[in-house]
Amino acid sequence: MMKPHASPNRDRVSTEITTLPLIETVTPNDQDALAEQVTACFEQKRPVYPLGGCTSLDYGLLPLREGTGLSLAGLDQLVDFPARDLTVTVEAGFSMATLAEQVAEEGLQLPIHVPQAKEATIGGVIATNWNGPARKGYGTIRDYVIGISAVDGKGLPFRGGGRVVKNVAGYDFCKLLTGSLGTLGVITQVTLRLKPIPARTSTQVVPLDDLDQAEQLLCGLVDSQATPFAMELLSGDCWQGSPGLDSGSPWHLAISCSGTDDEVAYMVGQLEQELLDQSLSAPRKLTEDEHQQLWAKLVEFPACPEAPLVIQATVVPSGTTTIAREARLLDPECSIQAHAGSGIVIVRFSEFPADGLSRALVGTLQPVAAAAHGNVTILSNPSGREMTPRSAWGMVPAPLALLSRIKKNFDPADILNPGRFVYP
Amino acid sequence: MTNTVMTRVMEPLRKIVGSENMLTSASERIVYECDGFVVEKNSPDVVVFPTSTDQVAAIAKACNEAGVPFLPRGAGTSLAGGCLPVGGGVMIVLTRMKEILEINLRDHYAVVQPGVVNVWLTQALKGSGYHYAPDPSSQGACTIGGNVATNSGGPHTLKYGVTVNHVLGVEAVMADGSIVTIGGPAGEMPGPDLVGALVGSEGTLAIVTRVWVRLTRDPQGYRTMLGIFESVDDATQAISAIIGAGIIPAALEMMDQGILVALEEAFHFGFPLDAQAILLIEVDGLEAGLDGQRDEIIRLCKETGAREVRLAADEQERLKLWKCRKQAFGAIGRLSSSFCTQDGVVPRTQLPGIFKKIRETSEKYDIRIVNVFHAGDGNLHPILLFDERNPDEIKKVMEASGEILEACLDAGGSVTGEHGIGVEKIRYMNKMFRESDLVAMRQLRDAFNPDNLLSPDKMLPTAGACGMEQIHPGRRAAL
Repeated sequence: MMKPHASPNRDRVSTEITTLPLIETVTPNDQDALAEQVTACFEQKRPVYPLGGCTSLDYGLLPLREGTGLSLAGLDQLVDFPARDLTVTVEAGFSMATLAEQVAEEGLQLPIHVPQAKEATIGGVIATNWNGPARKGYGTIRDYVIGISAVDGKGLPFRGGGRVVKNVAGYDFCKLLTGSLGTLGVITQVTLRLKPIPARTSTQVVPLDDLDQAEQLLCGLVDSQATPFAMELLSGDCWQGSPGLDSGSPWHLAISCSGTDDEVAYMVGQLEQELLDQSLSAPRKLTEDEHQQLWAKLVEFPACPEAPLVIQATVVPSGTTTIAREARLLDPECSIQAHAGSGIVIVRFSEFPADGLSRALVGTLQPVAAAAHGNVTILSNPSGREMTPRSAWGMVPAPLALLSRIKKNFDPADILNPGRFVYP
Repeated sequence: MTNTVMTRVMEPLRKIVGSENMLTSASERIVYECDGFVVEKNSPDVVVFPTSTDQVAAIAKACNEAGVPFLPRGAGTSLAGGCLPVGGGVMIVLTRMKEILEINLRDHYAVVQPGVVNVWLTQALKGSGYHYAPDPSSQGACTIGGNVATNSGGPHTLKYGVTVNHVLGVEAVMADGSIVTIGGPAGEMPGPDLVGALVGSEGTLAIVTRVWVRLTRDPQGYRTMLGIFESVDDATQAISAIIGAGIIPAALEMMDQGILVALEEAFHFGFPLDAQAILLIEVDGLEAGLDGQRDEIIRLCKETGAREVRLAADEQERLKLWKCRKQAFGAIGRLSSSFCTQDGVVPRTQLPGIFKKIRETSEKYDIRIVNVFHAGDGNLHPILLFDERNPDEIKKVMEASGEILEACLDAGGSVTGEHGIGVEKIRYMNKMFRESDLVAMRQLRDAFNPDNLLSPDKMLPTAGACGMEQIHPGRRAAL
């Protein structure tokens, strides 16, 4: 059974997507109907494009084959929320913002912070393995998915894990589908573990003269007793006017701590002392309001439709400043956000690289990232220019032959998001 | 295996590892006929001890050419028959690949070979301010390669997670003998999380020959408490109250009266023998927050009926408490000559109900059951005591175990929280998963291991080719 496109969200799905070659969009009402739809597409060998909140359609290569948009907007039910077990089960089309609101009523959180949370769905966040600035302290979405249901490219419904926090029965499909970009299965339902919302969160900002100073500070913070859950290295025009980033210095490090009142008071004092020991000026402690404002900007930064190019480098933490330096050389006007504790560097270019992506990314940034055990991927390139498997995904550190065999077994007709990822 | 088939592979193996790194006589091979799950036994046809990834790859290729099944083995502490060579074949023991290759504190990772014993890494890190968080109770013997294969847990998973949360990448030999590297020190990579899918695959997808693990900061301090309760129900209420208050202890373990008696006889810690249940609760982290959490836990325990809450006076007493807990299974011998441990999981709030079920099952079958488990995770370890010389008792233990595990499934749980499926629980896979789920699991296995020569008849029930028939419950176990 299909729901008509009644809600504004569904209209949006059907009318506003111009980046996908959709010939129709269907909105199954439940997981069985979704499986039937995929089965029908499999029989006709027609591509299926799963649509969550449509916030990451720029991520990866652009599919070319015409097919059916499969909206998850009809799978938006909260299935079970046993708060005392610290778990929640929701359908894949559930919005991240609503999820955050509902679990917060019980003092709980899924500490994964994504841009455009009102539109973004939990299924989409898992499929794109999208993680925000809190990952140093709280981990990534793979650490929170404990049960998953999906439909493979033949219409076969399958699930892995369960609803308990500890479970080693069978293969871990929660992991396999994390980051799978809708290419191995359409995620239909998930069970997540949750964490208590800490009593207090605090952010301190340190102005920095240059990247040498940043590297020195970051090295010092490796063993910091302040144990921050986020360390954001920020620079560029996009951050102008943000709370605490008005010192006039070209770089800032925003350091966030959370815990009980006593713990946070200790962390704040400890950090001040450690900076003093490094002969740096005392950090500026943001007010609660300022912290909220800055945090919102930190979460939203990667999503910028007007930016000509947004890329993400993933390297070992010690490679963070090296990547930032190279990015600045490529584009002196770019804006940078680095999750410095985790080695993630997100760069918003001010203009499309004049020398092209093969020189800027494949020729320059990717080798620098590789030297730091990492990789560079494109988060968005609205022009669509020069999008090749190598420019979009970099050097994927997994054997392509193996990936292709998995893809073939789960999607023999190659109908699930064809063309999006690097499968040959 | 038939002699002719095995003959085809013996000479190539000898060339790869040398005679000194092979066991071929029946008397030597019998040592490898089972792991910590001693119910079912079968000797491998040959045991080899490679010392490098290239040797492992060459062994896999030789097995493929001869059409001989092969499987990896670490220290053999699996409690589910994960290392049982069903149908014989070549056993690849990885304990001679035991180097810690790199420790990088700046980037919080270490690189180890699969035969590194879990506790060696933590010992190597002593004084650095870091440790390797997964700490299964067998950590003094089990290897990190084995931990990766079974996604091992331990008492501190409640706060720190299980093995998969600490593995950044692996180098592995595939079933066809090719060598692959997946992930690495930077962790995240684009595309499906293949590292996560490999962890816990019980040696059925690939043989891990190198592991990048995440290192975790040492906490500044600990507060370790013993909550003493008049009833198991009160103790389970306390668990819910503590976690409901937003406190995630590093560990939250429960022991019932039956196990306390054995522990007291073994270790003379001073456990109250008339208590029906005790909770071993540990919080760790910044000193600034610990006293507050301690006071709140004491208050909540008392509110839910604790007779007394004791504090570990010092580090020495804390370590002694943990020694009692981690060696609990060694003390069982004082209660019974034979015992069988189960590994079911229920949602934490279902603990009172499942305890009732365990009590009822104990009475129904007239089998004594004692309990020591990871209560904070809802991970049960009911231990069924019996006399293996009595066939009736063996049958009753098998049936009682089955009833408890099915009750776990009915409560929305799992048949295994950390020990794995192996051969022991293969018959429960059909109960826990639908046929379509198992089809999808075979799709994954076939992508890695298409001829099913690597660890055949493990984890997944195979249509028409069952594993070994289970006729006898386990005798020994540790967790």
